Amino acid sequence: MLRKLTLVGLAAVMLFGMAAIAQEPVTIEFWHAMSSGHQPNLQKLVDDFHAAYPYITVTLVYQGNYGALQGKIDAAVVAKNLPAIAQVYENWVTPIASILYPIGNFMTDAEKADIIDGLVPSNTYNGVLTTVPFNKSIMVMYYNKSLVTTPPTTWAEFLELAKALTVDVDGDGKIDRYGTAFRPAANPEQFLIFLEQAGGSILNADWTEVTLNNDAGKAAVEFVGSLIPFSYITSEYMSDHIKDAAMFVDTSAGIGYNVKAATNAGFELGVATLPAGPANFNSMIQGTNLAVFNTENLTQAQKDAAVLLAKFLIRPENTVFWAEKSGYQPVVKSAYNTQEWLNWVATHDYQIQMSEQMLNSFSQILHPNYGDMRNVLSSGFDEIMRGVVPPLEGLESMAAEIEALLE
Amino acid sequence: MKRPLGAGKKAGAADGKTIDPFRLPRDRAFWRETLAAYWYLIPAFLVLGTFVFYPFFSAFKLSLFKWSSLNPPGTFIGFENYRYIFHDKYFWRAMGHTFYYVGITVPVTLALSILVATLLNQGLRFLSFARTSFFLSYISPVVAMAMVWRWMYNVDYGLINYFLSFFHIDAIAWLNDPRYSLPAVILLSVWHYVGYQAIILLAGMQSIEQQYYDAAKVDGASGFQTWWKVTVPLLSPQIFFVFIISLIGSFKVFTEINVLLSGPGPLRSAETLVYYIIRSSGRIDHATNHIGRAAAASVVLFGIIFVFTIIQLTLTQKRVHYD
Repeated sequence: MLRKLTLVGLAAVMLFGMAAIAQEPVTIEFWHAMSSGHQPNLQKLVDDFHAAYPYITVTLVYQGNYGALQGKIDAAVVAKNLPAIAQVYENWVTPIASILYPIGNFMTDAEKADIIDGLVPSNTYNGVLTTVPFNKSIMVMYYNKSLVTTPPTTWAEFLELAKALTVDVDGDGKIDRYGTAFRPAANPEQFLIFLEQAGGSILNADWTEVTLNNDAGKAAVEFVGSLIPFSYITSEYMSDHIKDAAMFVDTSAGIGYNVKAATNAGFELGVATLPAGPANFNSMIQGTNLAVFNTENLTQAQKDAAVLLAKFLIRPENTVFWAEKSGYQPVVKSAYNTQEWLNWVATHDYQIQMSEQMLNSFSQILHPNYGDMRNVLSSGFDEIMRGVVPPLEGLESMAAEIEALLE
Repeated sequence: MKRPLGAGKKAGAADGKTIDPFRLPRDRAFWRETLAAYWYLIPAFLVLGTFVFYPFFSAFKLSLFKWSSLNPPGTFIGFENYRYIFHDKYFWRAMGHTFYYVGITVPVTLALSILVATLLNQGLRFLSFARTSFFLSYISPVVAMAMVWRWMYNVDYGLINYFLSFFHIDAIAWLNDPRYSLPAVILLSVWHYVGYQAIILLAGMQSIEQQYYDAAKVDGASGFQTWWKVTVPLLSPQIFFVFIISLIGSFKVFTEINVLLSGPGPLRSAETLVYYIIRSSGRIDHATNHIGRAAAASVVLFGIIFVFTIIQLTLTQKRVHYD
C-alpha cells in the first residue's frame, strides 16, 4: 500500500513538476513577410494561439518582402541568431536543412496525412516532414466570361480556343486581343505546369539527371510553342493587361486584382481548373512554408513553442480563417470539408475551381540550386515565347544550362 | 590644384637655402599637431573604415570563397568566381547594358543640365520657382517616381505614347519590348538627375565674377562667345564634379530598373551590373545565393569605376580652371 502511495505521490510530483515546467513563460519571434493587409489577420491567429497557450508569447516581426526576409534569415544563420519560427521558401532552407527542427516529428500520422498531397514533397527533407505549408496559392485559369462560354478542358481545346479568340478587332493588321497570355520571365511556373501535365519534370527523382528535355519536355515545349501566335507576352501583372487576352493562367492570389481590373474593363472574369495535358491537369502551388530552427540560440522551450504555433496555424479552422481573409488556399484536406469553408465557397463560387485545383497540384523541387534553375527557365522560356529561339532548341539549351547546375 | 611649392622656395631664397614645406623640422610642435590632426580624423576614419573600407576588403575576400551560410565564408576557391562570371553570358550582357546606359545617360544629362542652368541664369522673373521645379524631380523618391513613369510608359494609356501619336508614331511597348526597355530607363534617369546637376551648375555660374563678363563685353564678345569662352571654362570645376558623380552613380543604377520594369526587362534587356550582382547574391526571385560570385562581380565593377575615375582625373585636370 505504502509502495503504491509512494508511486502515486511520485507520479503526482512529476506531473505537477512537468506542468510547472511547461507553464514557464516563453517568448518566441515569428519572422514573416506578410504586408500590412495581412497583418491584422495574422495577429488575430496569434492572439488565438495566446489564448490557447497563455504561457507562450509570440512576437510577430515583419521583415519586408520575401527578398528581405530571405536576406535577414541568411544573415541570422551567419550571426547564429535565428528566430524560433519563420516563413521560408523551399530552396532557401535546403542548404541549411541540417539546422531545421523537424515539425513532422511532433505530428501524428493523421495530422501528417491531412496535409495536401501536392505539398508534402516540398516540405520533406531527407524523408522527414520538416516544414509545414502556410500561405499557399495555386495557378488557375482566368477567362473573360463574355468571350469564353465553356473554358477549355484539354490542351487541344485550349489551343483551338486561343486561336479562335485571337483577333484584329479594328482591321488595322495588328492583333488587338490575344487568345491567351504568358509572363514567361516573371512566371516560368507557367511552363513547369505544362511540363508536369505532360508527365515530365526538371530532374529525375534522385536529382542525378536532367529530364527536362525528354519526350514529355518536348511535348510541353512544342505545345507552348504552338500557342505563341495566339499569346500576348508580357513581364507585367496580368491585371495591367486584362483586356489583352481572353484567358490566361495566373495565381489564385491575384484574384482580387484581376477581378477588379476586369470589372473596370466592363466584363466578368471566370475561374476554371487548368486544361489537362496528356498526363494530368495538375497545377503548381507557390508560397511559403513554416520552418522552426534548431540552433543554439534557442532554448528547447522556444523550439517546442514554435512547433505548437506551426501546428496551430495549419489546424483546419485556422487555415480556413487565413484563406478567407488572405486569398491563400487552405493547406490541409480536412479544412475543405469544414462547414465554415463550405459556407465560404457557397458565396465565392471561384473557390470551387481553386479548391479542386489545389487538390490536384505539385510544388517546386527542393534542390539547393532550384533558384538558379528557375533563373534558367525564366530566361529560356522568355526567349522561346518571344520567338528569339525555336521551342525545341530553347528546351535543349535550358537542359544544358541546368545540367551544369547539377555539378 | 597645384601644390604651392613656389612659396616655400621663395621664402628660403633669402638665406640661400631651399625649404621644402613638406619636409618641415620634426620638433615637438610638429608631433603635437600631427597627433591632434589624427584625433580629428578618427571619427571620419571610423565611419569610412566601417562602412567603406571594411566592406570593400571583405567583398574582395568573399570573392575568393564559395559561400556557405552554415560555415561562412565557405571554401577557398581562389579566382574560380571570377572565372565563372567571365564565362557567364549574362555577366557580359549586363556589362554591355551598363556601358550603354552610362554612355548615354551621363553626357546627355550633363549637356541638358548645362543648358537648363544657362537658361535659369538669364535672370528669370520666377527664378526660385523654376529652380524648385527642376529640383523637385531629384528630391522625389526614386520608387514613387518610377511608378509614375510606369503609367507614362503604358502602351495603351500612357502620356508618352499619347504625345507620340501627334506625330503619327505608333504606340511603343516601352516596358515590354527589349529594344526600348533600357532607353525607357535612360529617359527616366536623365529627367531625374537633370535638375540636381543644373542646380549645382547654376550655383557655379552665379559665383563667376562679373568682371570677366564685363571684360568680354569690352572686347565685343557675342552672347555665345561669352558663354563658351567665359562661362564654360570658369564652370569647369562644377562640370567636372557633376560628371564624376554622375558617372559613378550611373554605373550603380538598379532601383529605377527594378521598379520601372518589375525585373530585368524582357529578355533581361535592362539587366545592369548591379542588377546582376544583386541577382547573384540571391536577393531577387528567391534565387540561390552565390555571395562569392556577387562579390567578384562587385570587385570588377569597383575596378571599372576606379579606372574611369582615374582617367577622368588625369584628362580633365588640365582643363579644369579653379580660378
